[in-house]
Parts: sequence; structure tokens; C-alpha cells
Amino acid sequence: MKLYDFELHAECYAARLMLSLLGVTYQTEAVDFYPEAAHLAPEFRAINPLGRLPLLEDGTLRFGTVQGILSYLAAAYDPTGHWAPDTAVLRGEVAGWMAVAGELAATAGQARLIETMFADGDAEAARAGAEALLRVIDQHLWFGEVEGRDWLCSATHPTIADIACFPHVVLSEDGGISRQDYPAIRRWIDRVKRLEGFTVMSGVFPTSSAL
Amino acid sequence: MEMLDLAGWHPIAASSDLPTRHVFHGQLLGREFAVWRADDGFVNVWENRCLHRGVRLSLGLNDGRELRCLYHGWRYSSRSAGCTYIPAHPADAPARTICNRTYDAVEAAGMVWSSVAPEAEFALPEVLAGADPLVLRPVPVNAAPGVALALAEGLLPDARAIGAASVSFAEAGLVVFVQPLDAHRCVLRGVLLAQPDDRMAALRYHDGVLCGLRDRIEASGEVAPPPLEVGFQPVDAALAEMPARARSGPKAELRVQVARKWDAAQDVAGFQLRAVRGVLPAFQPGAHIDVHLPNGMSRQYSITNAPGESDYTIGVKRDAAGRGGSVCLHGDVREGDVLAISAPRNNFPLRRDSEKVLLIAGGIGITPMLAMAQALQVQGIPYALHVFARSEAHVPFADRLAGLAVTRHLGLDAAGTGAVLGDILSGYAFSHHVYVCGPAPMLTATREIAAGAGWPEEAVHFEYFANPEVIDDSTSFEIALARSAMTLQVPAGRSILEVLQENGVDVPSSCEQGACGTCVCGVLEGEPEHQDVYLSAAERAANDQIMTCVSRARSARLVLDI
Repeated sequence: MKLYDFELHAECYAARLMLSLLGVTYQTEAVDFYPEAAHLAPEFRAINPLGRLPLLEDGTLRFGTVQGILSYLAAAYDPTGHWAPDTAVLRGEVAGWMAVAGELAATAGQARLIETMFADGDAEAARAGAEALLRVIDQHLWFGEVEGRDWLCSATHPTIADIACFPHVVLSEDGGISRQDYPAIRRWIDRVKRLEGFTVMSGVFPTSSAL
Repeated sequence: MEMLDLAGWHPIAASSDLPTRHVFHGQLLGREFAVWRADDGFVNVWENRCLHRGVRLSLGLNDGRELRCLYHGWRYSSRSAGCTYIPAHPADAPARTICNRTYDAVEAAGMVWSSVAPEAEFALPEVLAGADPLVLRPVPVNAAPGVALALAEGLLPDARAIGAASVSFAEAGLVVFVQPLDAHRCVLRGVLLAQPDDRMAALRYHDGVLCGLRDRIEASGEVAPPPLEVGFQPVDAALAEMPARARSGPKAELRVQVARKWDAAQDVAGFQLRAVRGVLPAFQPGAHIDVHLPNGMSRQYSITNAPGESDYTIGVKRDAAGRGGSVCLHGDVREGDVLAISAPRNNFPLRRDSEKVLLIAGGIGITPMLAMAQALQVQGIPYALHVFARSEAHVPFADRLAGLAVTRHLGLDAAGTGAVLGDILSGYAFSHHVYVCGPAPMLTATREIAAGAGWPEEAVHFEYFANPEVIDDSTSFEIALARSAMTLQVPAGRSILEVLQENGVDVPSSCEQGACGTCVCGVLEGEPEHQDVYLSAAERAANDQIMTCVSRARSARLVLDI
């Protein structure tokens, strides 16, 4: 299995995190997303016409979006069925939070790309959009704790929705978005970091072990 | 602007914001806080800044007893916020003056309350007295606290202002506290005064009310004032400059009460010492305190506690043939007595960058080893504690040993002890360290066996209780003090330390028998005659430091760096 990867790309981190949590071994091929924009070059578009990172290659199969990669990995490599649960309720919840992850990419993720890799766009507007989403997520997680739910979906375990949202949230400060106003999100970040198989990236550090 | 009064007490977090091993990022009146609960329940409110490079401690790691900065790993103890370990200086004990700023914290009514500059003790707002409150979800607002408070008063018709920063709505049984984060930001902290029948429904309903209030406040169009300008607390002068030399002689700056005295083993009394006022300074594993006794003596005892504990616990072996310190502590000192002690000093620091640590304790020598073993256990560094004692009844602090990686070696004679030490010390590898404390013959044997088994000198750390050598003070010589520009004569029968102190040169000292290392002084010229048991053979051979309490000169003159 091969991951076309850029170390500092939030969604590439989501793919690496999922692979690490599942204990799947893989190779990486570095694609110079910044500053070379190699993901837009014809050579890379020949593999991924969307011109996007990350891209996962498993044998002859190719998945060129983070949503596709997480869904495929969970379905193919998680014998417990926890990461992409198939009850009606959880399918709906996972799909909903995967959509929120996409909105986080377009706001918090975009603010980070603007601030750290000089992407085009309005950083203030991206931050405002992200703050509106983070308020909702913090409220959702706060009530989750009161109800005995630790994760975004109502399962007793994390799902690919947590992994899809996590990189944009945990890297938000790169884009100038403090998490001080989101204490329940900060606690959820600790919980993700304590999962067996958790892995770090530049700017994402481990936390202390739970008791 | 009464709301921005620094003396006011405000809720800064909900109790539920501080789950196990989490660090909450708080703020009050522009001051950022790192708020964390230790495993024993103690709530720490600290300035959110590592003293080293200023990195936010709210990014740090809560290990249950200490907070570790994420950047360079400096560790700070719960309660005192004193630095206990600096990874870049693994063999050294951090200075006692490295201590973070702490703020008062009181946990009451499901919230943590603090004040930037309190003028009075915390008093629970009257409206909460006797209540069994339900704390609502905190709702941060991007608006000036005063604006938020004014609009909160319009929330329901029966609003009544209580205190400077809160509104009560009697009919709804609701109180809203406005926590001033800064001049332009605040948090609405709602509390229901009684537990509702349907808790979830009440939480959801009132969360909706507070979110609606937030949206109205933020839409009110009031221009938020600029943030408060907050100066950081300047670091301790002693940290910023070269510290002044301490006043001569053992100091006793702390007062402690004997909270508990018990038989920790046969002939060993345990003493739990509690601060008479405030919080005791941070201690590091291996540290000792000077205890000043009713009979006028001063004695050194190692602290046995695990990281982050509030009291100091020491163990005192009764030695009827000794100089009288242990007999006095055993016989005369009782629970409730107040003793004068020094701040902890660490001449026996524990490295935390070892791949494996051997701790070897003989008899009452277990006391510093206990502190080390508990610190290593908490930090997850592989270690093995070997306890040598005459019998199980002679093993002190058996309660603290439970749960540690301990092996007991009971009732061995000298030959048996040597054989066991040979086993333990076989298999030296790089980054292994051994720490040993016990009776002098055992220390000497351990050092010899370790040297024979290939342990380099710098990997063998030891602490003598007392100097077993007979001190020869028959020589006389001259000392030149390079910094003090004085030349003094040391006659037979007087120590360098005594001559220095008589001439007004301040040298800190403690055991005054060449065991503790406190009175060390640099040597610039001349050849010392070492009579201490503190320096290693290599340190002795380097001839660049001297224990002024017992060591003397082989040359006619010594030039000291003092």
C-alpha cells in the first residue's frame, strides 16, 4: 500500500493517523504540495485527476479524497467494524460529521493554508467560519460528556468521523484560531491522543497517559 | 468598571472542566491560566507560561503529580509549582528559586474560583449558600464583560444584580456569573440553584437561553474595548541575577507541624511534616531537609515523598549511640509539635534520562530511594529498587513500597550482601545508573563492586549518612580568597569553614562532616587534602573543589574561588 503524502498537509495526516490506528503498514511517496504545487502537475493529475492530496494506492485501487481513503481503510482493514459502523443511526451520524470535516477543511484548514503556505483566500472569513463550526462542535461534545458519549457519533468508540475532523481542529492554531473558548473540544483532543496507535505530526504532540 | 477589579473572585472553570490528567486553558482579566487537577484532587491555577521559554503550560502534560512543559520538558510540581527537573541538565538539581506564579483557587458549588489579586478570602456568593447547584455549559462571548452583564440583566423581568459580576433570576432559579476573560471577552457561567427533575432537558433548555443571550450581546454592536495590557510577573531576582550567597550556617526558614508520628519500622519513626502556613516548597527526589531539634541540634533527613505530595515525610532511625538527634526526635518530639526546618536541598539529584536505574538501599538509607522510586514509577522509567534490611520488621515505609518494583534482601551478612550486590550490579550497559544509600561499609562495598563490574564512576551515585573517616585537623596552612581579596590562616584544630565564617565570609553549610556537599568551594590553586565522602575519586583527583568543613591542604597555600 502506498500513500502519496505531504508531511504538513492536514488531510494527509488524517490518512496517516488512520493507517497508524489500524496498524496497517504502508509506504509513502512524498509529493511537494508546497512550495512546488506538485499535486497540480500533469504527472500527478495522471494518477489523481482531482489534483488532490492525499492519494492512497492499494494494489490496483486508488482513492483520491480523504473521505474515500478513511471509508475504504475502515471497511477493508478493521475487522471490528468500529471505525465505520454499519448501523443505520451510525451511518447517518458518520456521514454527517464527515461533511462537517469537509466544512472544517474549507474554513479552519483554509485559514491554516493561507497563514502557513500562502494559499489564496480571505483568512478572516475562513476563521469566522471555523469559529462558528467550533462553537457547535464544542456544544455537541459538552453534551456528549454529560450523556456519557466521548466521541462525535453516538457509538461507545471513535469512528472515522473523529479522525476526519481531528487534524483541522488540532492544527487550528496554525491558522490563528485559538481553542481556549472550546474546552470540550480540548478534552476530546486529549481522548484522541490517548487512542492506541495514535501518531503525531509537526505541531501535533502527544499528551500524558491517562490514569 | 467595577467588573475589572483585580481583587474580585470569579468562577474561572467548572469542576467538570478538569478531568483526570487534563490541562484547562483559563483566563481572568487578561491573565492566562493553566488550570489542572492533580491525581490527589488538588486544583492548580498557574500563570500560563513556562519560566524557561514562555511556552503556554496549557499545552503541557499533566502526569497526575507534575506538569511537564511541552517544549523542553521542564517539570513543575503540583501545589508549589516549583521546578523539579530540567532534562537539559539531567545530573543537576534545579535551583529552588525556579517556581512558577500560582493563583489562589477554591473549588465550590461545582466551579473553580480564583482572583488575580485577592484582598479577602474567598466567600461563596450568598445566593449559592446551601444550594445543590447544577452548573450549566459555559458560554464564551466576544464582548466586554460590562456590556454582557447589562444585557444579561434584561434577560428576564425579575433580574437582580448580585455582586459585581453576576445576575440572579429568582423565578427561574438561575444565576448567571459573567467571568471577565479580558476587557473585550467574557464567559457566561450559568448555575441552576436546585437540581431539576429532568437534568438533560434543563441543561439543554438553559443552554439555549444562554446561547441566545450570547448572540444578542454579540449583535448589540457595542465596540469592544482593546485588550487589557498585562505585564508578566517579573521572574524572581535570584533567577535573573547571580544569586547572593546564603547566610552562614544551617538555615531554618520553614515552620512545620508534626501531623503524624508513627512506627515506620522497628527503631524507625516516621514523621509527616505539614506546613504551618501556606504551601511547602517543591522538593526533588533525593532532596533532604535540615531539621532543627528541641535540643539545639540540627540534623539532615531525606524526603521520602512521591512527586506532588503536600507534606514532607521523613524516617528517623533511633541510634542510641549517636550524637542525640535521633533520640531526641524519637523521645521528645510528638504529634502537634512545631519544628523549624530548612527548605529542601538536593545534593543527590536523580537523572531521568537513564534507560535503567538501580536503586540500592541499606536500612534507613531507603528514605531518598523511596522518593526516587516513586518519581521513576510515575514517569514510567524502568528501575529496580533493592532493599537490604535485617528482617521484614526492619523495612521502613512498607506501605509506600507496595506497588513499586522492589526486591527485598533480608538478614544477609556482609559476605551475603556482597554476593547479592555482585548479582545486581552485573550487566552494566550504557545509560544505566545506580543510586545507593545506606551504611558506610555497604556504600563502600557497592562502589567497589560496581567499579569491578565495569560501571563508570559517573554512573554510580551515592549518599553517605555520615562521614566514617577520622578527620585529621592537625595541619595548618594559608588560604587566599580570590573573590573576597583576603588571606587567612587556618590553624590546627580549626576547619576552613570555621575560619571563613569567623571572618565574615558567608558559606552555606549543613552536615559539617564532609557528607552532604553543601559547603563546597572552588579551588584555583594549591592541592587539597580531601577528607570528605561527597566527592568521587575523579572529582577528588581534579583538585578543583573542596569541602571546606573537613578537607584541608597538602600545599602550604590554597587559593579558593570565593
